[in-house]
Amino acid sequence: MVEKGVLNGVRVLTLEQVHALPWGTGFLADLGADVIRVESPDHLQDRKAGPFPGGKAGEEWWNEAGNLVYYGTRNKRSLCMDVTHPGGKEVFLKLVEKTDIVTDNFRPGTMQRFGFDHESLSAINPRIITLSSTAYGYTGPWRRAGSRARTVDAACGLSYLTGYEGGPSMRASNNYMDHSVGNNVAYALLLALYQRNRTGQGMRIDLTMLETGVSAVGPAILEAQNGITRERLGCAHWWKAPHNVYPALGDDRWIVIVVSSDEEWERLKIAMGSPDWADEDRFATVLLRWQNRHALDELLGEWTSRHDDVELAQRLQRQSITAGSCLTAQDLVNDPHLDARGYLWEFPNPQAPRVGPRVFAGRPFRDPGNPMAITKVAGLGQDNAEILSGLAGLSSADIEGLEADGVIFGAPRPDESPP
Amino acid sequence: MPGILSELRVLELTHRPSGAFCAKLLADQGADTIKVEPPGWGDQSRHEPPFIDDEPHPDRSSTFLAFNTNKRGITLDIEQAEGRNLFLRLAESADIVVESYPPNRLAELGIAYSTLSAANPRLVLVSITYFGQGGPYASHRGDDLVSQAMGGYLYAVTGSASMPPMGTALQQMEITAARNGAVAVMAALLRREQTETGTHIDVSAMEAAVSTPSGLIHPFTYTGRNPHRGGSDGNVMDGMHLPTLDGEVTLTTAGTGGRPMQAWAEFLEEPGLLDPKFATRGGRMEHWEDLHALVAPRLAQWTNLDLMRETMARGLVIGLVQTPQQVVESPHLEERGFFVELDHPEAGPLQYPGSGFFIDGENAMAATRPAPRLGEHNVEILGGELGLSLRELGLLRAARVI
Repeated sequence: MVEKGVLNGVRVLTLEQVHALPWGTGFLADLGADVIRVESPDHLQDRKAGPFPGGKAGEEWWNEAGNLVYYGTRNKRSLCMDVTHPGGKEVFLKLVEKTDIVTDNFRPGTMQRFGFDHESLSAINPRIITLSSTAYGYTGPWRRAGSRARTVDAACGLSYLTGYEGGPSMRASNNYMDHSVGNNVAYALLLALYQRNRTGQGMRIDLTMLETGVSAVGPAILEAQNGITRERLGCAHWWKAPHNVYPALGDDRWIVIVVSSDEEWERLKIAMGSPDWADEDRFATVLLRWQNRHALDELLGEWTSRHDDVELAQRLQRQSITAGSCLTAQDLVNDPHLDARGYLWEFPNPQAPRVGPRVFAGRPFRDPGNPMAITKVAGLGQDNAEILSGLAGLSSADIEGLEADGVIFGAPRPDESPP
Repeated sequence: MPGILSELRVLELTHRPSGAFCAKLLADQGADTIKVEPPGWGDQSRHEPPFIDDEPHPDRSSTFLAFNTNKRGITLDIEQAEGRNLFLRLAESADIVVESYPPNRLAELGIAYSTLSAANPRLVLVSITYFGQGGPYASHRGDDLVSQAMGGYLYAVTGSASMPPMGTALQQMEITAARNGAVAVMAALLRREQTETGTHIDVSAMEAAVSTPSGLIHPFTYTGRNPHRGGSDGNVMDGMHLPTLDGEVTLTTAGTGGRPMQAWAEFLEEPGLLDPKFATRGGRMEHWEDLHALVAPRLAQWTNLDLMRETMARGLVIGLVQTPQQVVESPHLEERGFFVELDHPEAGPLQYPGSGFFIDGENAMAATRPAPRLGEHNVEILGGELGLSLRELGLLRAARVI
């Protein structure tokens, strides 16, 4: 648990898989909540998902995945326990008495089958906040459908509008919706805690990926009701030109340049050394530049392709032109700006000594009142004993009994297949 | 139910969608949110197409309407001393100020965090910019596309491997920066309950973009390989979009108990999918054109909603590639009561997306008011609440302060 965090004293029990919900509870963990990830020994996909050093899983693969540090179990505790076993269920319900928030991302119906639905938990602890993060929600005809972040990217309207100019629709991202939903999970849970400080009441939150996605494409939703359709434009813009990605010197190097006004266009012309083509009438106004944007992009691209993207973007910025290099992950790891801002976090995970220290993306916001850092990454079942004795009040004999009965685990089952 | 944040007041002083969307997230939970716009022109997005009924009009921009729900609006020229005085008076009783000026601009105007905080120590100031308040790029100019590029997203995520980088539509890095800002604001409000002091939050859209893929930085530091765009190229079963009778769909191999081709062969009644060359992911990628030739004609016989219903019944996982129109008409969203109707005097009644979560079965999105017209609440707020007389308001108007 993160010391002196604003959420010290808040406990979260989370039955979570994949990305969206672990990303969301990760914010609470970073802010000092005691987030206990209750992991099933039969669903270790997240621990198998990697990445692993050099792309190869080691002998203790279950504690080595980079995703665990990035969001899976960082600043959380791990209780590896089969909650479908009566002994595991009993422990889970004991923990609920001392818990503020229970979150899950099962399909609707599963928590009820376990006896962990909101009504049952709130009978044990009336202050409990529950949040279920699902694809489509607890009501409506699609409530039983499964999802991937990509299928919700599709269903919310974002994929349809994304694509190269004149080309087919493309999924915007394999996991942007997971990320976006995770942020919404964190927002909803912090709202719930804020509200509970006033009312003393718990609540049940039904949060969906589809609806979080639709809430992010509001302009297109309003346009659709008015019969307006957006064309796919790739990196081009509805009214700005130049506004695109242009080739730069080197293999697969690119630069983005954006011009919003005549003044900016004049500055760009000077930066290019005032080539004759730039003074042609067909590029003289905002409207003409947009109408002739394909020719403009081609000519501009010929110029950019002779320059190093990083140097050129820096130079254009010095001349008050909006530009940016198309950075790779490697560029970002070595980026002086991110370095100066302390955005990248290096962490040596004591639970995975073979891995050694690695660099991770940090949080995109700074608040001196709420500093954040990685303080631990929970290995599988690492905190079983501490949680069971400290919180559930079990004796060491009880804990040994649970181990012997196959309820709690400190490592995968012997027959578990490695990744 | 009054919104969770209904006891709070937010002042919004922003220029880009990220700030507007962050303030909207707070307004949609009931916070009394006052959007402060420059007199005459207002928020830049008022002037950006598309417009409702195609009529260019500062109250008809779809982006402005979508990102400014549940806010009140005043005009105030904070470049003028009198405008700054009025802003400071409003800030004295505000809980949160959301701003997106270039770093140091507030200081140049004499309303830096230190000044605001001296007047109101409980104030939470959140600054959302493209590159953050400090660092070598702090003064750089940005927009959503630049954030996608500098944040590593453009290179790695959306497009095809054999094509130039291509980004995500609809300014999603602005949205992501805003969502991070809202999380940070809530954490700061909870901290304020313990300390009685506010804070200054620094949100960077470039960093928000870096954090968006589930892995960008650490896959590189673990494997030495740069994540690269093209993840859906040639991926018939787990990435591509395929046409249906009335739209498009994207398939997955999820929900098939580890036997995807058997499950899909049975569902699509296409035994060709059982060919051993499609048995592994690698095989499916290698022979993707053959696979596409078998799958596409079968899918083309289905309508989207029938396909969704029948795959769901069998536990298969698909995604309908819905048009915004199909989203608006979604029977699922209608049954859930997701959309909230707001009637705008210029744009008319429209269905607005909710917040993405329901609390105790109720849509958590406030439905107080549509986006404000320019200066709509000047008299109500500057007159009624700050106590300026109509004569004073007239003077300020003549001096273009409001």
